[in-house]
Amino acid sequence: MGESSRAAPHGLAIPAPARIAGRAARRSHDRWFTPLAVLPTFVVMLLVFGLPLLFSLYLSFTGWSLSQDLLGGEFVGWANYQDLLEDPVFLGSLGITFGFTAAAVAAQLGLGLGIALLLNMDLPHMRAFRTALIVPMMITPIVGALCWKLLLDPSHGVFNHWIGERIVWLGMPGTALAAVWLVNVWHSTPYVALILLAGLRSLPSEPGEAAAIDGASRLQMFRHVTLPLLRPYLLVALLLRTIFEFRAFDNIYAMTGGGPANSTMVLSMFTYLVSFVRFDFSLGAAASWMMLVMSMLMCLVFITVIRRRDAN
Amino acid sequence: MAIVTGSRRTRKLEAALVYLALALLAAAFLFPLLWVLGLSLKTRPQIFSNPPLYLWWPTLEHYLDVLSRADFLRAFLNTLIVSASAVLLSLGVGVPAAYAFARFPFRGSAFLFFGLLVMRMLPPIAVLVPMYVLFTRLGLATTRLSVVLAYTTFSLPLVVWIMRGFFEDLPKELEESAWIDGATRTAAFWRVVLPLARPGMVASSILCLQLAWNDFLFAAVLTNNATQTLPVLMAGFSGGDSGVDWGAMTASGMLVILPVIVFSFMAQRHLVAGLSSGSVKG
Repeated sequence: MGESSRAAPHGLAIPAPARIAGRAARRSHDRWFTPLAVLPTFVVMLLVFGLPLLFSLYLSFTGWSLSQDLLGGEFVGWANYQDLLEDPVFLGSLGITFGFTAAAVAAQLGLGLGIALLLNMDLPHMRAFRTALIVPMMITPIVGALCWKLLLDPSHGVFNHWIGERIVWLGMPGTALAAVWLVNVWHSTPYVALILLAGLRSLPSEPGEAAAIDGASRLQMFRHVTLPLLRPYLLVALLLRTIFEFRAFDNIYAMTGGGPANSTMVLSMFTYLVSFVRFDFSLGAAASWMMLVMSMLMCLVFITVIRRRDAN
Repeated sequence: MAIVTGSRRTRKLEAALVYLALALLAAAFLFPLLWVLGLSLKTRPQIFSNPPLYLWWPTLEHYLDVLSRADFLRAFLNTLIVSASAVLLSLGVGVPAAYAFARFPFRGSAFLFFGLLVMRMLPPIAVLVPMYVLFTRLGLATTRLSVVLAYTTFSLPLVVWIMRGFFEDLPKELEESAWIDGATRTAAFWRVVLPLARPGMVASSILCLQLAWNDFLFAAVLTNNATQTLPVLMAGFSGGDSGVDWGAMTASGMLVILPVIVFSFMAQRHLVAGLSSGSVKG
């Protein structure tokens, strides 16, 4: 911006007046280019993101119902937040969300790392395996969850046929949570595998070759060479998956709806039910803001990590 | 970084083990999909046969049935309209911004840029609660426009992030020579940069299309029977367990995922950049 707005150096051959006018017009035009290019994005961000979030913050401090004026809610202070913190279902959903996120991300990272290492082997036909293994992440989540629901069906599901029993997998708290976890791992492990495979492909080959010459075993090489070099990619995968599992919704909605006995009630599901089934938007807004604060913290960590990496 | 060690025999054994592990993993990952694809090609008695059928003459009856249902076709059309509009809107709004972010960083650009990242990463349900209330008051709820606007919360950040990477990788000399020739920034962007960025726009469109096509939550809240999208229609199948029409459900499911699998393979090269919000290049 600085350069384009600087005045033309004088004392040079004087151009024709028309050209001066043309150049000045161009400069003033160029000065407006960046603001105008960014403005629409800024406006859209404000309309679909900034304003709704501010409005939801307002809602969370009022007792508001759909029949009232938009800003007609009565100020109730922290009452909505207090209600949440006294609600055993909400407190339970906090624990379930954290436990579920940790278990899903851990399994995705472990399995994804294994798959990435296998796919990185220098053997023929790896592309075909790669293609087959990334299919689950492309499947519409709600359809993937419904496929699993059919496999797990008590009377006609293929799993129960194989074991010869009639287990109601999604009807018992323990197995329901495990089933939802399994579907999330199935759906999102390919993401982790792809990120880590991209990482493995971009690593320099010299450290590994040097270690091989020194007679390092496969395991030693993995632990002391590959893993440290892969750390930035593992960190990105860990943070991204944590942020995305924290908001898990589709699979759970389709498979259990938060039940049985609230055993799969993650925060997104809780907020959904409060807002769109009970139509308590003030309580829903308060629950949203609790989620927002937690997610923002995770995003901040993510941004710090990638900025530090990009700066290096 | 693939390192070759060991004798020929151990290498062969190792290759066999790698293939075995990959084959087992691929079988486990693909099984749910293949089994349901199989169900969709069975007649009603075959679907519920006990023990399950492993070999049968496939039938297309459920596909023909689904494709003749008005609600499926309407949902298909709605999904197409809504996803395509969200992609076009995000490209129109986001591409110039991505170019400005890449070439003319300004005061606050980093802040705005990371604001977009946060927009992509915050839980959609948290945006949806106030959005529903506001859209209802504006008379927008249950319209396709409301879903398109909601989708920009993820598609706009995706476009800006991916396109910024693309613009940064383009050589700056091209625009500079256009500027020297007297072109304004707008003209240089329009005539020189944009044509070169076409592959990036295709890639980001496909990734956005995939996300929009797969979205369930926004569409579930912001649509009604007339404007519902395919994932919402699909969720309707899981309602009453005993009354579920397995044939129609599995055939619709396969029809819903077919286009998205095709898009995804078209953009395979860019999947990594897309799914890591540009933080990892594929």
